[in-house]
Amino acid sequence: MNSTAQPYAIMAEFDTPADAMHAAEQIRDAGFRRWDVHTPYPVHGMDAAMGLKNSKVGYFTFLGGLIGYTSGMLMIWFMNMYDYAIVVGGKPLFNPLFSFPVSYECTILLASFASLGGMLFLNGLPKHYHPLLKNPRFKAGASHDKFLIAIECADPRYSPTETRKLLEAAGSKHIEMVED
Amino acid sequence: MKLLFPIARKFLAVVIMAVSFTALALSLTSNVFAAESHAEPAAQATSAAVDHGASATHDEVPVSAVKQFAYSYLVAFMFFLSLVLGSLFLVIIHHLFDSNWSVPIRRFLEHIACLSFPWMAILFVPIAVLAKTIYPWMSLDPAEDHALHAKAALFNMPAFYVVSSVLFLLWGWLSHGLRRESLAQDKTGAASHTKAMRRYAAGGIFIFAFSMTLAAIYWVKALEHQWFSTMYGVYYFAGSVWTTLATAYVITYWLKQTGPLRDVARERQFHDIGVLLLAFTVFYAYIHFSQYFLIWNAAVPEETFWYVKREKGSWWGIGLVIVFGHFLVPFLSLLRIDAKKNISLMAPIAIWAWLMHYCDMQFNIMPVIHPNGVAIGIFDVLCFAGIGWLLFTLFKNSFAAHPPYPQKDPRWAETLGVYVPATGAHAASHGGGK
Repeated sequence: MNSTAQPYAIMAEFDTPADAMHAAEQIRDAGFRRWDVHTPYPVHGMDAAMGLKNSKVGYFTFLGGLIGYTSGMLMIWFMNMYDYAIVVGGKPLFNPLFSFPVSYECTILLASFASLGGMLFLNGLPKHYHPLLKNPRFKAGASHDKFLIAIECADPRYSPTETRKLLEAAGSKHIEMVED
Repeated sequence: MKLLFPIARKFLAVVIMAVSFTALALSLTSNVFAAESHAEPAAQATSAAVDHGASATHDEVPVSAVKQFAYSYLVAFMFFLSLVLGSLFLVIIHHLFDSNWSVPIRRFLEHIACLSFPWMAILFVPIAVLAKTIYPWMSLDPAEDHALHAKAALFNMPAFYVVSSVLFLLWGWLSHGLRRESLAQDKTGAASHTKAMRRYAAGGIFIFAFSMTLAAIYWVKALEHQWFSTMYGVYYFAGSVWTTLATAYVITYWLKQTGPLRDVARERQFHDIGVLLLAFTVFYAYIHFSQYFLIWNAAVPEETFWYVKREKGSWWGIGLVIVFGHFLVPFLSLLRIDAKKNISLMAPIAIWAWLMHYCDMQFNIMPVIHPNGVAIGIFDVLCFAGIGWLLFTLFKNSFAAHPPYPQKDPRWAETLGVYVPATGAHAASHGGGK
């Protein structure tokens, strides 16, 4: 159907997490940017091997928490002072003390929403299509017993011959091109 | 000897259970009695608070040197007891959670915990001797003071001395038991020692909870025996473990720099202590807020007088320092993951934590004799420095006398992330596990 398919990435298959990790270190040191490692389970140390920095989700969490806390306080302040002002137990109409538990819950609620939303946003999810997912070898290995590295052809460092050599030198036993 | 051990152990277990349940029963019944009688102590407490408030703006009642010394000593004692019990707690949870990250830091925590007996017990002697000067309830007649009468089950002279002694014995038994097994494992490497430590920890956590609560009630909360707060024990606990974690961070860093822990204390240890420190920053704030919030919301005079007293003079400022300095500043500083691994931030935070915990101890103890505000004197400095120096020297000696970290703990491979290939028959059943 798609006879003029463009190459999307070069994909290398490794048998052990150690092989994939060493290959990732070499790719990181070669200066590639648009690439990823796909493993059936989280491999400890892979973040450092790939040169990934700390996740930015924390900023979304903090911002969500801050908004949650402020909006909780403002909500209670508005309701108790103006919307339905009623004296209970001789207490002031508004006080941050009794508003704190609810504001604190709002903090946690919005912080968790922001974490989830931020994670999806940073990952570019939801995504309806990804070229790797129609590759039979990827489908068979990535969620079972193989460790796969895919370097996108759009990476400025990519070269059809040199990149293949790099992956071969890193110890991959099977390398193939993935079409878009 | 061998035959005696299981019997002695069972006997001890029974005694401990009995003590725990008696303590629980006593605290419950004293609460029931207290609930029946609300009018009288309330009236007394409020009138006392109001009187104090009126006179506080004028001259403060002069405090005798002996009394000032006793209170300064109590503040310093409770501060360092925090570190000792906090360390005991960290050793206990290490075994309870079967954690591997804390193996490198466990030994020095064991040493600090072992200071509880005999050294903290010896340091308690001045408090025991000066008890009548420190605790006003000891000079009152329960027949004339309703609050004291209602709490007489715990607040009587024999109970004070017996419980205080038993607390030190329990802490000594626990901490020395844990360290003895740990040191024995250094030689044999047998897993049976880990199992023995686990048993100490499993029973010990209950003993720890009851004993630390009793210590906080008897030695600090009893300064104002009319007061009620069901979370006072956990309040002292939260502040204690917080301070201990900050201290443990710096000790770990120091021991890594100077050598003993150079190869075993790694990023993970600092990260995990930092994470726990952040958790306890929040936990302390949660507990202290809850205590204040419940008292504020209920507005019962038997309870509010405690905070009313602490809003007078510069105690108001210390209260705010605790809100912002004990919680907000460390909380915001510790949020980022890289902050927890950065010694140039963590060292100031540890010093800050000591200062905040000291403020907290002052805030709990000193308003009784200094209702007008903070009054730090030479006794405060001398007691703090004296107890601190003594305990530090003792710690240094015991650290030097033993291996700096558990030598043959079965968890080492996991701790350092080393892959150990399975061998023999064991491999057949476990080889494919990971």
